[in-house]
Amino acid sequence: MYSNDKDPNDLGLTLGMLTLRLWLAIRAIQTGIEKFAGEKSIDSTVVIDGAPNSYGLTEATAGKVYALSNYHGVPAPLMDKFANEPLIPGWGLGIYDAILGPVLIILGLTLLLGLATRFSLFLMGLVYTSLTFGLILIKQDAGVAWLGIHIVMIVMGLALAKYNKFAILHKW
Amino acid sequence: MLFSTSGKPEPSAMNFDLPKLSRRDFLTKSTLGAGLVLGAPSILKAKAAGAPADDIRVGFIGCGKQHEVLFNAMVNIPGIRYVAACDIMKARVGRTYSAIKSRFDYGIERYLNAQEMLDKEELDAVFVATPDFWHAPHTIMALEAGCHVYCEKMMSNSIEGARSMVDAMDRTGKLCQIGHQRRSNPRYRYALNELIQKENLCGQIINVNGQWNRALSASQDIVSKPSILPKADVLREFGFNAGADHKLSEEELRHRFLNWRFYTSLSGGPISDLGAHQIDIFNWFLGAQPKSVMASGGRSYFKDREHFDNVMCIFDYDTPQGNARAFYQVLTTTSSGGGYYESFMGTEGTINISEREAYTKIFKESGADNAKWDKLVQRGLLKKQAAGVAAGGADAIASYESAPPDEYALPGGLSKQPHTPHIENFYAAVRGEAKLTCDARHALESEAPIYWVNPAANSKQIINFTEEHLHT
Repeated sequence: MYSNDKDPNDLGLTLGMLTLRLWLAIRAIQTGIEKFAGEKSIDSTVVIDGAPNSYGLTEATAGKVYALSNYHGVPAPLMDKFANEPLIPGWGLGIYDAILGPVLIILGLTLLLGLATRFSLFLMGLVYTSLTFGLILIKQDAGVAWLGIHIVMIVMGLALAKYNKFAILHKW
Repeated sequence: MLFSTSGKPEPSAMNFDLPKLSRRDFLTKSTLGAGLVLGAPSILKAKAAGAPADDIRVGFIGCGKQHEVLFNAMVNIPGIRYVAACDIMKARVGRTYSAIKSRFDYGIERYLNAQEMLDKEELDAVFVATPDFWHAPHTIMALEAGCHVYCEKMMSNSIEGARSMVDAMDRTGKLCQIGHQRRSNPRYRYALNELIQKENLCGQIINVNGQWNRALSASQDIVSKPSILPKADVLREFGFNAGADHKLSEEELRHRFLNWRFYTSLSGGPISDLGAHQIDIFNWFLGAQPKSVMASGGRSYFKDREHFDNVMCIFDYDTPQGNARAFYQVLTTTSSGGGYYESFMGTEGTINISEREAYTKIFKESGADNAKWDKLVQRGLLKKQAAGVAAGGADAIASYESAPPDEYALPGGLSKQPHTPHIENFYAAVRGEAKLTCDARHALESEAPIYWVNPAANSKQIINFTEEHLHT
């Protein structure tokens, strides 16, 4: 309970909890933001003998841009694989595709700010578990292992919750 | 009425009260500085109809696949007002109308007959993208109607037809651009002017090699719902029965309408359809017409087609640098072998150039002057890609093999669709701001040898060109 967690006084564990919060928050926020990333080709005039060429030759350089129109909750190459999985309903995949990015960003922010840290960690754990479920189905064992490490970190965060400082809302 | 055979314009269409000479003259005269006075009434009327007075008023003759390629290549070019389109197939004109309406939010006039469109509409420029055997008649009627013309290549299915287009261009004084779009492509112009001519990058070009290898899947018969195709009497009226030895059924006529490229009376076949683009580049880059052609072709797979499904030919040139031979093959049964490109092979380097950048590569011979090539890279004229990798290995016969060439690339590419620069050049010429990069006379100089490839393959004889073969 909240009352039992008050004033734990171990600097090392407090900093450990803070580090975990930062890591997991950045991981979630940036993963969510990257779902809005895309590539934009930028054409620049080719320079010959120190001057722009007169033919109209251009050199295309691809630059990374972020835009709402680039959003893909589930990466396109995986979408087809998930769609072919009988245990994943089509309607569910559509919803998941729509909300995954925003959910990761929101949970990352709540964890970063310390808003209901324990529930944020728990919900984040559920999200990573759901991702694990999908990756098991499409036999992405490396991804499953990687998510397993995330889950261990979340459990560590929950175990250290009583050392949670610098939080806006300690309750929940 | 869906199609305006009545000629009655929609409110959004341009008005028909414009003085006959005003708009076209305005385009030229305004660039000369005199148009503001002479063209004033037409400026006012054109503006009243909703378009800037100096917009080029464009019509389309032929609204099939090639028209779509052209239209998609020009939709971003400013200063164009699309006025009318014509095709003997209603559905195609409807598609063109919809494409323009959705893109520009105004309608165009629709016709089933080109002469009627030219009689009724005030057009500055006309794009001809009809079957080859209609290129000359449509181009000539548009030129004679006072329009500048952009006509797809080949100029015609016969050299006589192509010559009649040059005559009409000269007679009318109008512009006639032929759709050899590589002639306006910055990459091709750069490779020729800067690398071959100024820097003599290839040394003496002794061999040229070109090909267009297209997969069987892309060479199948085109089919369509019969209900949307023109009726037999319309197809007969428009000459799709040409060269037939019996009265054609509606099904046969419709097959000819959709697949005119297979018929000798309607087109020049693959060597004309695909080869013309590339043999044009041979002649342009070498600065010469060939002095002879030998060829072989076969109906090796499509046995019921009138044209050869694959053709190989060799042109012999006397260029300003010396003698050279050019081999060209067009295959319609495989896409393997590297796609489509033209390769200019010289004593010091080779330029493989293609409309597709992925097929474009430049190679330095091992004996070429390293310092010269390094200097070109430093100046930005070339990009170094990779050093040549020696074959080695147990199967290499070292004494027979030359050192592998280093690989380079052009310093840049084209950020537009391949046809766009050629269309831009046409519009600039209409405005008096540029010279056509491929007018009908220059196109015919280049195309003339191509008309003799099929006869050479049929006769299995070398054709030594005379003035009679090649004159424009």
